[in-house]
Amino acid sequence: MKKIFQKNGNINLLLQGNEAIARGALEGDVSFCSGYPGNPSSEIIETLADAASHLPIYTEWSINEKVAVEAAAAASFAGLRSIVCMKQCGLNVASDFLVNLTLSGTKGGMVLVTCDDPSGISSTNEEDARVFADLADTPLLEPSTPQEALEMTKWAFDLSEKINNIVLLRSVSHLSHTRSVVRIGELPENEKKARFDTRNPFHTFPVIAKHNIRHEKLKTAETIFESSSWNPYQGPEEPELLIMACGSAWCYVLEAVEIAGLTGRIGILKLGTTWPLPKKIVRETLRKCDRILFAEEVDPFIETAIKAYAADLGEEAGGKTFMGKASGHIPSTGELNPSIFLNLFEILFGLDLINKTYREKVGEHLDGVIFPREFGFCPGCPHRGSYYAIKQALAWDNRDGFISGDIGCYTMGIWPTGFNQVKSVHAMGSGLGIASGYGKLAQFGFDQPVVTVCGDSTFYHAGLPGLINAKFNKSDILLLVLDNSATAMTGFQPHPGTGSTATGEDTEPVDLEALLRSLNIGVDVADPYETEASAQKIYALLQKKGPRVLIMKRKCALVQGKQGGFPYQMSVNHDVCLGESCGCGRYCTRIFRCPGLIWDKENMKATIDQVVCVGCGMCADICPRGAIEKTGKRN
Amino acid sequence: MDKKNPEGQTGLVEHVFKKGLCVTCGACVDLCPYMHYHDGRVTVMDKCQAEDGRCFKWCPRAVPPGMNTADAEQMAAKGIGPFRKIVAARACDEKKRESSQNGGMATALLTLAMETGMIQGAILTDRGDDDAPSGKMVLSKEMISAFSGSRYSASGALSALNRAVGKGVEKIGVVGLPCQMEALERRHQYYIKKQMTDQVTLKIGLFCTWALDYRKLAAYLEQEGLTGTVIKCDIPPPPAEIFRVYTTGGTFDFPLPDIRQMIQKGCSVCTDMTSLYADISLGAYEGREGWNTLIIRTETGEKLVDLAVSKGRIEIEAFPEKNMSDLDHAAQNKKNRGADASLKMTEGEVGS
Amino acid sequence: MQLNLIITGVGGQGNVLASQVLGHAAVHKGLFVTIGETFGLSQRGGPVLSHIRLSDTALPGPIIPPNAAHMVVGLEPLEPVRILQEFGNEDTVFIVNSRPIHPLNVIAGDAKYPDDRWLKNTLECFGKKLYWLDATELAISLGGAIMLNMIMLGALSEMDGFPISKSDIKDVIRTIFPESKLEMNHKALDLGSKLVQNA
Ligand SMILES: Cc1cc2nc3c(=O)[nH]c(=O)nc-3n(C[C@H](O)[C@H](O)[C@H](O)COP(=O)(O)OP(=O)(O)OC[C@H]3O[C@@H](n4cnc5c(N)ncnc54)[C@H](O)[C@@H]3O)c2cc1C
Ligand code: SF4
Ligand code: SF4
Ligand code: SF4
Repeated sequence: MKKIFQKNGNINLLLQGNEAIARGALEGDVSFCSGYPGNPSSEIIETLADAASHLPIYTEWSINEKVAVEAAAAASFAGLRSIVCMKQCGLNVASDFLVNLTLSGTKGGMVLVTCDDPSGISSTNEEDARVFADLADTPLLEPSTPQEALEMTKWAFDLSEKINNIVLLRSVSHLSHTRSVVRIGELPENEKKARFDTRNPFHTFPVIAKHNIRHEKLKTAETIFESSSWNPYQGPEEPELLIMACGSAWCYVLEAVEIAGLTGRIGILKLGTTWPLPKKIVRETLRKCDRILFAEEVDPFIETAIKAYAADLGEEAGGKTFMGKASGHIPSTGELNPSIFLNLFEILFGLDLINKTYREKVGEHLDGVIFPREFGFCPGCPHRGSYYAIKQALAWDNRDGFISGDIGCYTMGIWPTGFNQVKSVHAMGSGLGIASGYGKLAQFGFDQPVVTVCGDSTFYHAGLPGLINAKFNKSDILLLVLDNSATAMTGFQPHPGTGSTATGEDTEPVDLEALLRSLNIGVDVADPYETEASAQKIYALLQKKGPRVLIMKRKCALVQGKQGGFPYQMSVNHDVCLGESCGCGRYCTRIFRCPGLIWDKENMKATIDQVVCVGCGMCADICPRGAIEKTGKRN
Repeated sequence: MDKKNPEGQTGLVEHVFKKGLCVTCGACVDLCPYMHYHDGRVTVMDKCQAEDGRCFKWCPRAVPPGMNTADAEQMAAKGIGPFRKIVAARACDEKKRESSQNGGMATALLTLAMETGMIQGAILTDRGDDDAPSGKMVLSKEMISAFSGSRYSASGALSALNRAVGKGVEKIGVVGLPCQMEALERRHQYYIKKQMTDQVTLKIGLFCTWALDYRKLAAYLEQEGLTGTVIKCDIPPPPAEIFRVYTTGGTFDFPLPDIRQMIQKGCSVCTDMTSLYADISLGAYEGREGWNTLIIRTETGEKLVDLAVSKGRIEIEAFPEKNMSDLDHAAQNKKNRGADASLKMTEGEVGS
Repeated sequence: MQLNLIITGVGGQGNVLASQVLGHAAVHKGLFVTIGETFGLSQRGGPVLSHIRLSDTALPGPIIPPNAAHMVVGLEPLEPVRILQEFGNEDTVFIVNSRPIHPLNVIAGDAKYPDDRWLKNTLECFGKKLYWLDATELAISLGGAIMLNMIMLGALSEMDGFPISKSDIKDVIRTIFPESKLEMNHKALDLGSKLVQNA
């Protein structure tokens, strides 16, 4: 058994932020865990799924975030402690239930973890999910370090039970994906029995009364926050600058103040409980200084709240200077880092903290040389074949068609690896909804064909309603389900089509074809590796009307690799390869762009990178000369 | 030429596709993966970076007329252009004539050329049945007659030539429209420049006033309730003003003005009606069903026709003076119209 | 003692595992350690960057402050150059694998990968010392490119002032690798340390 699941506490482990949250939940006596995968949150449920085979808990990957919260709420209603985890966009999906749940209240301690992704490093957006705490009147905790993540998670269950409402915990990428030494506590061993008390139903009526109760609960939370130890102040009694910081930003501030040698001149209020504001603490701290800087990631959340509170304080607060995102002292977008604060201290305190000569010299030297690495589908990736076939069909069709895209590995279709065919990407399942709209524009002269693509996991998550909408409203929509039997983007979590659950138990897979046929929508299946045949099918479908579905079926290359690999040993016949000359123009490396194909500069011919090529054989069919040869089994 | 307009696919896109001038000859197709012919249309598949490409060099629409050798000659020629002989002709084999468009000359001459070894393969346009017509390479003389009859939409047939050359076929005969003959001429000039041997040894050109856009035609015919598979199309002599389609389901007539809406835009700047660059040019014999007008333009053409006559494959008659002057007039008219349209287009560009 | 180390490379090079091994070793030694990881679309050819921060006094934050990296391990030669301006300084020691991984835009001819000489010069000129190691070849001779990260750790363990020794690392990998893989990994570490001793 992994050390992270051991019963005894009081040892130091190297834990990732997400693992610390999982351990915190276990120490907090959680019984029911659910979530939907999405960077940077996935490892929490992965860890808890792993834990489920050692400890008496239940863990699931739910179909989407809303269902995840609903399922976890059931456990809470029945008196069990539950945790539900997602990324920032996921909370949007869950929010409809959340704003109602907080009216009905909860029973067993319930914690919702949102992992925000400042800079959108692995997201379609940059979003601050903390606004939902305000929207749903939910207490909000913001840990700064893995240790704190563990402790706050554990504590959050108690808080939830004290106020009978769900508690939000917000992490960010640079906490979720940070490993550090964490001292773990002991795991409780309590017998539990789930039971719904039918005398105490959970619903939102009467709405106004429940709304008032919700506000009362929030007040209680505020009082608890004020006496908690999560909001320490550190620094001189009369600092020249007061920084109010939360989450990872606090780490950057702390370090920057130290580097700048300003520990004696700057005071730092670390806010760990950010909604509702622990007003008493804020009020006392505000007295110390008239210059206040806010340090937080993504939106000016505490900044706005504290400024509003200072306005309420009126005279007492006096003339304060507030610095932060609103004033432009802190960038209003993008992830923060220590550098931002050092730069600011240089200005505010007239110091010289950053090695500018070095940076300038390096900058000059590197100018124009460094370029970003282009992302691409893996060697042997079926998506490359699917997009190649779609590209071909749309070009043949010649009506300026395009793809309405969705979320998954195949989002990369906006880039050369997907031949730049994808022209819109937003939220999970949106590709279908948007396509159902395009499909009704013919009466306004719209004559461009649209293909919408959706992965199998995404299709179950939120794609199905878009498709049914198209069916219902007789929209001309062509859906290509890119069925690779995996949630590859986030690390191969199982989904309804894969035949196993989060904990590895067998379950009957949902039959996608049968599901679509039950809607009486024409369904056909094609193999992405057979690009020409697939293109023919897509072209033929483009000429038809009404809802149409083509399932592009082929396992994710990484899964195929694990399950015994690919059939071919590849090579390029240099006597036949045309290279750059008219007739080819490096078609394979320039257009098809599988990383398994490289350019041999000496011979001016294409070559197979035997380390990278997996032997799928797709490229043999796209070479105009038949120079790429596939032979029998790889050794 | 500056870098912005290289003589490669970029130029082709700029000067031909963006202006809607492609006439679907197929000269640029299947030389490489970048240009495709599918379902009756030539399309750009991917972006090629070459600045010197055969697609541009061979395309009959890639540069405004008058800009290269072929164009200069063409502009200089009056009416039906230079020729050795013009006669009325028809195939002796009655069966072959029946399925043919006019006198079955194309079929008869090609069959003979293959028999004598003058050509190994022939590039023809198939009927497409329920799909668009397209170019095919035929290697056996028995198969040639299966391709008789005219498709009035353009078919990208020269793509089959490119594929055949890719496979190493030598001595090839091509039947095609004037634009395709022009493409072959440009191709020939390119071969001379590169000091390579041209595989095309026989060029049979058809007369052509215009060709239709297949997709538009197909959609129209479907909408107008045409049934069966198309065998051939015909435009009966004026004043009928109809377009006649023979299908497995019967004969259908459509008003010619409707059909004219579907003429390829690129045909409007075409200045050649009688395939100036062919060895032999073939057209209908106005007013005499089952006969062809035959223009012999080269020595190659003359030899083949003489052989065909001596072998009793075809019969020829003198071509009446009146028909000759009508034809010359019609050809000159097309040239004037094309030159005007092309001038207008250039002016439009300069103006904008 | 406070040490800032960056391990940089691209997806699939074993960056995350290497930093974890160091992290565990540090915990065993009773050091404070924080590892900040950045990997966006790492599996799909993107860069992977680990900030490994060791201290004997207090827990460091997840991001190294500007121009404060003491050591940089490049599993690939372009990636250390990419972080030079933000984290490098005159005293940075670079331990770099010479074998480039060409991204798709380079293979396609849309971007130009700088040549060896330029890369070497750049790192030499903007740091204190560069160890330029042909580690991939060595890894392949050992049984696969996958051994690269251990070779680089072996090299790293030889650096002056680096608080984690080769035997510390061996202790950790004993707990994470199966018996059958131990020997190969130990060998990789040894070869790595030899590589810098000879350099
Ligand atoms: C689009 C088009 C427009 C024409 N316009 C005129 C005109 O205005 N006046 C006139 O006198 N004659 C015109 N013709 C020529 C005429 O229809 C006959 O093709 C010609 O007289 C030869 O008849 P045939 O009986 O010898 O041909 P057949 O022996 O029947 O052989 C016909 C040959 O034409 C080829 N062919 C069929 N369709 C096409 C096509 N779309 N593109 C290229 N090759 C094709 C076939 O491969 C076949 O070899 C036109 C032909 C076409 C295809
Ligand atoms: S292998 Fe084929 S596609 Fe690639 S450069 Fe050579 S001829 Fe072109
Ligand atoms: S066979 Fe070709 S397409 Fe498949 S992985 Fe190898 S190089 Fe890539
Ligand atoms: S006219 Fe012929 S060569 Fe020119 S673009 Fe069209 S098909 Fe290609």
